[in-house]
Amino acid sequence: MFKILINLALKNAFLRASRAILLVIMIGASMGVMVSIEGLYEGMTSNMIDKTIRSDSGDISMFAKEYRLKNDIKYSIKNATDIAKTLDTLESVEAIVTRVKVSGLAQSATKAYPSDLIGVNFEDEQKFGKFSDFIKEGNLSLGKYGCVVGVELAKNLKLKLNSKVVFTSQDANNQIQSKLFRVKAIIHTTNINLDTRAILTNKNRVSLYLGIPETTATQIAIRSKKDNLQEILKKKYKNFDVLSFKDLNPQLTQMKTMTDIFNSITFSIVMFVVFIGVLGVMYVSILDRIREFGIMLALGYEYKYIRLQVMFEALFLGLGGFILGSIIGYLLLLYLNIYGLNLSDFADGMQSFGMSSILYAQIKLSYFTTSLYAILLASILSVFIPLRKIKKLNPVDVIKADA
Amino acid sequence: MFKLAIKNIFYYKGRSITTFLLTFFSATLFIIFVSFMHGSHKTMLHNALKVYTGTIQIYQKDYRDEGGYDYLIFDNQKVFNSLEKIKGIKSYTSRVETFGIASSKNNSSAIMLTGVDFKKEAKISELKNALKTGKYNTKSNCLYMGEDLAKKLNISLDHELSFVGSAIDYSFAADIFKLCGTFKTGMYEFDNSSAFLNREYFDGLFYSQNASSYIVINVNDLDKNNYIASQISKSIGKDLKVYTWQDLMKSMVELVKVDSIFGYISMALFFMVIFFVILIYGFINISSRVKEFGVLKSIGLRDIDIDKILIYEILILTLSAIVIAICLGGSIAYYFEINPIVIEGISDMYKDYGIISDTVPTDFDIFTIFWNVSLIFSLNILSLIYPIYYVRTFTPVEAMRHV
Repeated sequence: MFKILINLALKNAFLRASRAILLVIMIGASMGVMVSIEGLYEGMTSNMIDKTIRSDSGDISMFAKEYRLKNDIKYSIKNATDIAKTLDTLESVEAIVTRVKVSGLAQSATKAYPSDLIGVNFEDEQKFGKFSDFIKEGNLSLGKYGCVVGVELAKNLKLKLNSKVVFTSQDANNQIQSKLFRVKAIIHTTNINLDTRAILTNKNRVSLYLGIPETTATQIAIRSKKDNLQEILKKKYKNFDVLSFKDLNPQLTQMKTMTDIFNSITFSIVMFVVFIGVLGVMYVSILDRIREFGIMLALGYEYKYIRLQVMFEALFLGLGGFILGSIIGYLLLLYLNIYGLNLSDFADGMQSFGMSSILYAQIKLSYFTTSLYAILLASILSVFIPLRKIKKLNPVDVIKADA
Repeated sequence: MFKLAIKNIFYYKGRSITTFLLTFFSATLFIIFVSFMHGSHKTMLHNALKVYTGTIQIYQKDYRDEGGYDYLIFDNQKVFNSLEKIKGIKSYTSRVETFGIASSKNNSSAIMLTGVDFKKEAKISELKNALKTGKYNTKSNCLYMGEDLAKKLNISLDHELSFVGSAIDYSFAADIFKLCGTFKTGMYEFDNSSAFLNREYFDGLFYSQNASSYIVINVNDLDKNNYIASQISKSIGKDLKVYTWQDLMKSMVELVKVDSIFGYISMALFFMVIFFVILIYGFINISSRVKEFGVLKSIGLRDIDIDKILIYEILILTLSAIVIAICLGGSIAYYFEINPIVIEGISDMYKDYGIISDTVPTDFDIFTIFWNVSLIFSLNILSLIYPIYYVRTFTPVEAMRHV
């Protein structure tokens, strides 16, 4: 019986070919474009978050109390290297770096701009966030006076590779100090603060320049997937601010939330309109065959079988749309994942606001599974109104009326 | 034909209601969405212009590319004389910018010190309105400083600070200043690194009499900005270059364009789904009326007459939905232009992205509303092409026999 029902439903679903094809194209095209937009938007925000974690905050960052408020090297972590070594032994810690940062003025031959001198260990940074991936020009062979500068800072100061840049700031003894660097690499991290202000060089040189011990740091950044590590560290290091990526970058977290909300709203609206489409087709399909259903009921065919058959018809149409949508969506996502959406014409604008000019999409199985559930649900729901029409049928009246 | 179309609209209620509602829904949504998108973009750009940038700036050629004191404007008065002759200019003033290190008792910071004519500046920027403490129009060695910068230097009103930089003849320039006023524009980087000094004192210290980094201009009517810029360009020397706000804020203009592209991509998805649903409902309706068209053809109506009936039907439904959508969507856009939505904290959250106001207004623009609804109208007309083609494939006899 079940097999017959499925066969009947399959035959009837595509009986009116033009109508069924239009519906399948509608569902397929909508789903395909919807999942690719979803993947692109999610790819964009995830990419920004990933690069900020890798280039700066990590999953957790530790600062001396008051440092973030005063932005002064007086408020630094004195025994940072020891703490980092201890933390590195924890199984949940994937990578750890210590950094020292001071704000000051960077001057090229003709221009000056407020900037930050950041002392890092480039080997550790490579393990921490694949630092070399951020290099746009040059390399990390810094030599004695080499430095790496952010792409926007380089633009503002008209710096090129091997240009000289002088950084001036206050040291740990409140004395004004200047140091000359030569640009050996230019980085593009999509982290606005780094791209517009950072001059990075070896941490020991910055420590020397500032007159602080090499063991001192202003930030300890940690990569870890363990959810409760922040709480553990907060309890262990009560004298420090232990902040998660979300605490440090609320705007990116909110951007991600906004993207998720926007995708959900888009998804709901599209699925509602898909529901209306399937409802229309199913309603007319049932009206067209109302006499057929009347005869079936008159012959003793139970209503529950008709209901099941109609549901299967709607499901087959929905599934047809889903298969087409999955093909379109996957191909579009694959293209956007490999080649990206090239917005190089707007590169200046996107770069200065911390975005990459080529946006790559993410591909997640959940885009397709969620769409499948939603399409199946819309298909099932769409038959309830038409089914009420059949339920109210008096077989004799229907056969007489259309005879 | 028209009467027949009206009769059909009321007879086929299901299709009419669905088409009407979908058209109304999509047109209203589009008007509101675009008005909010344009409104937020316009606010972002206008706020940035209003705060400090002005609508036109004049530079010595190469200043923006090379920078430095060698590329200053060395005869302000000559340019001012030319500007006096051009109609449509609301106000203008000159500024001289220099970078250096400011130090309080315990803190130092890189700052941008700008020499301004405070009276003229009040007419061109929001600096005066941004006053937080102390006074705006300061004299002698009094500084008007960003609130965040004052916090960073840990100073308050009447406290002294030193500044070290270079005069425009590249000699060493240093002085002791007093903090006389603080401001907060909401532009984080600006408030965190800018200080202003009255022009007279600045010129004496930096030898910048009658010279400027650039001249900033505001026009009476922003729509005539480019025309006025071209007039200025013709009247000043060839060694000077005129930049409009689109050039000056290229990054922000580009970001706005990218945001608009994403907005239209999302809307395109909605339109595609709605277009398909209207197409499907139209097609279902027309395919169920093939017999009726067969009768009409057999009594002498031509294909073109049938087309006319169908076009009248969609025109009546679309236009009535669009008129109501214009009234509703337009009213909402107009209301929120006058009473913008306020999202507390949004400017603080997105300060890095140039957002300096918590208000999100709409932009009520008749022309924009017109093209919004024109697009919806065109899509509805397009949705009729396939159904018309389908009806035309039947001969009168085939149509009358159609089941």
